[in-house]
Amino acid sequence: MSSVTPKSTGVQKSKKQPTKKKQFEPRILAFCCNWCSYAGADLAGTSRMQMPPNVRIIRVNCTGRIDVSFILDALYQGADGVLISGCHPGDCHYTSGNLKMKARFALLQSLLEQAGIEPERVHLQWASAAEGDVFRDGVTKMVERIKMIGPNPARGEK
Amino acid sequence: MAKTKRIALAQLTSCWGCDQALIDIHLKLLDILPLLDIVYWPAVVDYKLHDLEALPNKSVHIGLVEGSCRTNEDLHLLKVMREKSKILVAWGSCSAYGGVQGLANQWDLKELLDRKFMKVETITDGRIPEENVPGFLERIVPNPDIVPIDLVLPGCPPTSENTLEALVALLENKPYDLPDKTVCDQCPMERKEKRIKRFRRTHEGKIDPTKCLLDQGYLCLGFATIGLCGAQCPSKATPCKGCFGPPPSVKDHGAKIISAIGAIADMTPEELKAAFPDPIGSFYFTDYASSYLSKIGNQKKRREK
Repeated sequence: MSSVTPKSTGVQKSKKQPTKKKQFEPRILAFCCNWCSYAGADLAGTSRMQMPPNVRIIRVNCTGRIDVSFILDALYQGADGVLISGCHPGDCHYTSGNLKMKARFALLQSLLEQAGIEPERVHLQWASAAEGDVFRDGVTKMVERIKMIGPNPARGEK
Repeated sequence: MAKTKRIALAQLTSCWGCDQALIDIHLKLLDILPLLDIVYWPAVVDYKLHDLEALPNKSVHIGLVEGSCRTNEDLHLLKVMREKSKILVAWGSCSAYGGVQGLANQWDLKELLDRKFMKVETITDGRIPEENVPGFLERIVPNPDIVPIDLVLPGCPPTSENTLEALVALLENKPYDLPDKTVCDQCPMERKEKRIKRFRRTHEGKIDPTKCLLDQGYLCLGFATIGLCGAQCPSKATPCKGCFGPPPSVKDHGAKIISAIGAIADMTPEELKAAFPDPIGSFYFTDYASSYLSKIGNQKKRREK
């Protein structure tokens, strides 16, 4: 997925030996908005910032385009977590798309909680095009959080 | 249209309200009854299950199944209906989406039985009935996910006109498609740009019967609900509960509702959470069993076994 420097392969090797395949590697889906977070993720990549390779990114024009059913469908199809990354409030390219996502996110969280699914599986963060480090931290924390919670119960045997 | 067609109507777990809506066709029944040969309809005529089982396979032209599968007997009846019918119709929201009883999928069967038979306030020394009863199924699954269904006609109940229209189309061998319209398209209320500052319960404040209920802050789900009923409730100043389920292009009713509310609410996340203390009950009135969340629950159950 991402370019691996010699240094990081060294670190990973020593980690791999004791537990090898046993360790749970979360599959995380990220929705990034075209104008801020996708560029931020790109910046994190071109700046060679190190982050776990568990995230698959889908670019959307705006976080306001994300229907709640996209997130629920991702969980149904076995994603262990869903990360939504958009522009900071006030910075939206379409003026208020991210605020719509914020409101949806609040309701989605109480919905997930009521349905018995950990609300932490879905996370909303703001990262601008200049904040590659914020994106990296967001991804790292997300992976840590999902590793704590464990695999998605809907996930098939793979 | 000289030949009569054989029709069977089966009732699974439901309130049998769909039958009442059918009988409410009233005088128009005189037009269609001569065209129908009723071979099974326990709600009205004294047929038993073995009467239906004795029929040859695919001998019934139109089979209407109402209700969802909560017991093993329901499941058996649904499968028999599929075997005997050429065209099988999932009739009503219970049959199409799992119905109100689908909300029970939030809990385990054990908890449900415990609450219903052991911990009822009016009962001392309760017991779970086990003799001479068919036994419960673990979860509510919508009928179209159990057997192939040829036509889905949602509604709680489908109005007399809906059922009549679908029946006439089937009798004349014409296609019958669900509309991609919503209740709002049929609603006569006056609409404005929506910016909701506060959601109200129906008993709070006074509803203006000429203006859009959602504009006034009442959670009316017409925008995400299929337009089959003719906006019966909103046109009488009663908020739509979404009992007909979503239009065919929408996969998850509640998700669509949340997405729309997010776009029109001018509220903080805390206020929104406080406004909807029971999101599943508010957004998935009759179709929780067909939602993504309930399906995730089904998979969870399967994996536990």
